[in-house]
Amino acid sequence: MKKNILTGILGIVSALVVGLIILFIQGYPAVESYRQLFNYSILSRFSFFSTLAKAAPLILTGLSAAVGFGSNVVNLGQVGQLLIGAMSVTVVGLFINLPAVIMIPILLLTAVISGALYSGLAAYLRVKFNMDEFITTLMLNFVAQYFTLYLITGPLIDKEMNSPMTQQINSSGWLPMLNSLETTIFISIIISLLIYFIWHNTKMGYEWKVMGSNNTFALFGGVKIDKNYVRVMLISGALAGLAGAMLIMGGLQHRFLKGIGANYGWDGVMTAVVANNSIIGTVIYGLFFAVLQTGSMGMELETAVPSEFVLILQAITVLFVVASRKSAYLLLNKMSIILKIRQLRSGGEPEENELDD
Amino acid sequence: MNLMIELIRSTFLAAVPILLASLGGTYTYYADIFNIAMEGMLLIGAFAAVLGSYFSGSWLIGLLAGVSGGILAAIIFTLFAVYLKTDEFVTGIALNLFALGATTYLLRQIFSVKGAFTSSDIIALPDWHIPIIDKIPIIGELLSGYPFLLYISFLIAILVEFHIFKTRFGLRLRATGEDDSTVDSVGINSDLIKSKAILLSGALSGLGGVFLSLAYVNMFAENMSNGRGWIALAVIILTRGRPIGLLFMALLFGFFDGLGFALQNTFIPSQFTQMVPYLATLAALYFYSKQKKEKIKEELEDESMAV
Repeated sequence: MKKNILTGILGIVSALVVGLIILFIQGYPAVESYRQLFNYSILSRFSFFSTLAKAAPLILTGLSAAVGFGSNVVNLGQVGQLLIGAMSVTVVGLFINLPAVIMIPILLLTAVISGALYSGLAAYLRVKFNMDEFITTLMLNFVAQYFTLYLITGPLIDKEMNSPMTQQINSSGWLPMLNSLETTIFISIIISLLIYFIWHNTKMGYEWKVMGSNNTFALFGGVKIDKNYVRVMLISGALAGLAGAMLIMGGLQHRFLKGIGANYGWDGVMTAVVANNSIIGTVIYGLFFAVLQTGSMGMELETAVPSEFVLILQAITVLFVVASRKSAYLLLNKMSIILKIRQLRSGGEPEENELDD
Repeated sequence: MNLMIELIRSTFLAAVPILLASLGGTYTYYADIFNIAMEGMLLIGAFAAVLGSYFSGSWLIGLLAGVSGGILAAIIFTLFAVYLKTDEFVTGIALNLFALGATTYLLRQIFSVKGAFTSSDIIALPDWHIPIIDKIPIIGELLSGYPFLLYISFLIAILVEFHIFKTRFGLRLRATGEDDSTVDSVGINSDLIKSKAILLSGALSGLGGVFLSLAYVNMFAENMSNGRGWIALAVIILTRGRPIGLLFMALLFGFFDGLGFALQNTFIPSQFTQMVPYLATLAALYFYSKQKKEKIKEELEDESMAV
């Protein structure tokens, strides 16, 4: 754990330094840009709240990927599952109008079920026909993209608008604001706690972890691989679908716009990867990426650095954090071996070293 | 008749980027490197090609720039995956997102546009009109007048087959993929072989990107690789990395891509026709898995009979 924090900080700092150099070379006021980046994301109440709003769906897609990867289930379909979740919420929200107390749970449930069904399709193809989920989920992403695009340019289009989008869903389905703080973040936190509990405190979660570290061992240890595989896929899809609900029920638009959620799916994958599939790590990195993305708008406003710069920064962060984790691991291993050899040479008993992980 | 000719022509054109990317991926496939970065390499190649062509006014510089872009992406991949021992899957994901971020950022930074950049100053790859054949009706229309890179890429498919299966490098490449520690033990640097494989995949994917932005269309658009790198990966799995097989499979996907394009003028909404290549990939994987399953079943039955 300590090592993860250390390599995480090392990776983030070196990525930020590389970013600084890139900005400097391109002739931007580098330090000032960074200052604005954080100024517009954490240094005021309003900006911090926007960061939290950004983090809510990001954490959910991150958890979706982390639960999958951690169980050796390569679900790369967050993009598609998020879109299907968001679209289902939109359709139900457009045509059904009930009091908010009933409406909100119904919409959340719609997102969870539709996301799970979409990932369930890939799970079915894997269990039934042995088709690799990592390719099928990718292909289903494109199918979902074009399908939802069809719906918002055709049957569900709001004709009064200039670009393809649906009408607003019924306002009873909007998630309330709490002193200008979006309540979506609370849903994400509750879900994170729930996933953390399942992952660390239940037999099911234990079986998933075993699957993640060694599939063959899991098989011989009596874990029902197929059954757990399907479960993980369904939960993973449900989480991504729920992220889609956040985009429609939270925010200001409350409608399905063209290009909605474009980055959340892949950013979620990156979050899980950089956090090494740890649940807490995913939440923390999800917040960090949300800080970068929210701040990028302010940075563009103040120092004219295109906001897309943070996309580069995110990818560099992932590479550096993961690389430094791996290097630190190799280095520590080497050191512990050297220490052991020395102890053996001096005739002493080798002590149990505590450099596990 | 005209529609048939159009369909066949678009089949050839759409096949090339997938073909080149999958040929590149073949090298890493045999080196047993899990390379999912073709998508990003294509994208960087396409962007660098437009950049080079636009500022130099020469398609040749554009082509070289595109290939260099692919190689640059490959160098990053090599540095992390081979030398820093970062997980290949993670490196691939990060590189793809880096490619998307970097090209979108530079598109705004250099050309000050969002979405897509078109200009008459982007010099496209020249077409090659095959002498004599060009003059024959129909056949000339079918075979002649494509961007010259198309003919070269078919030639490259044959060369890659030869390179991997008939040369010393190919043998060492496949040996590295089988067991790299054995290769190291006989005094060959397997890391170097892996690096070469990744660089070759970067160069070929970069070339695929060049075709995408200087021949298939004459522009750069955000995320214009649009899953072709992933389809290339599926193609490699489906053909188990045989370059000649790749050629036919790429043509098949080119056909579906072209079919989607041809269907656009019918009553079917364009969003559905654009799904066709991805659905075709799913269908191909389905038949492949089914075939594999039956094969395993037969083998099991044979074995039980033998017992």
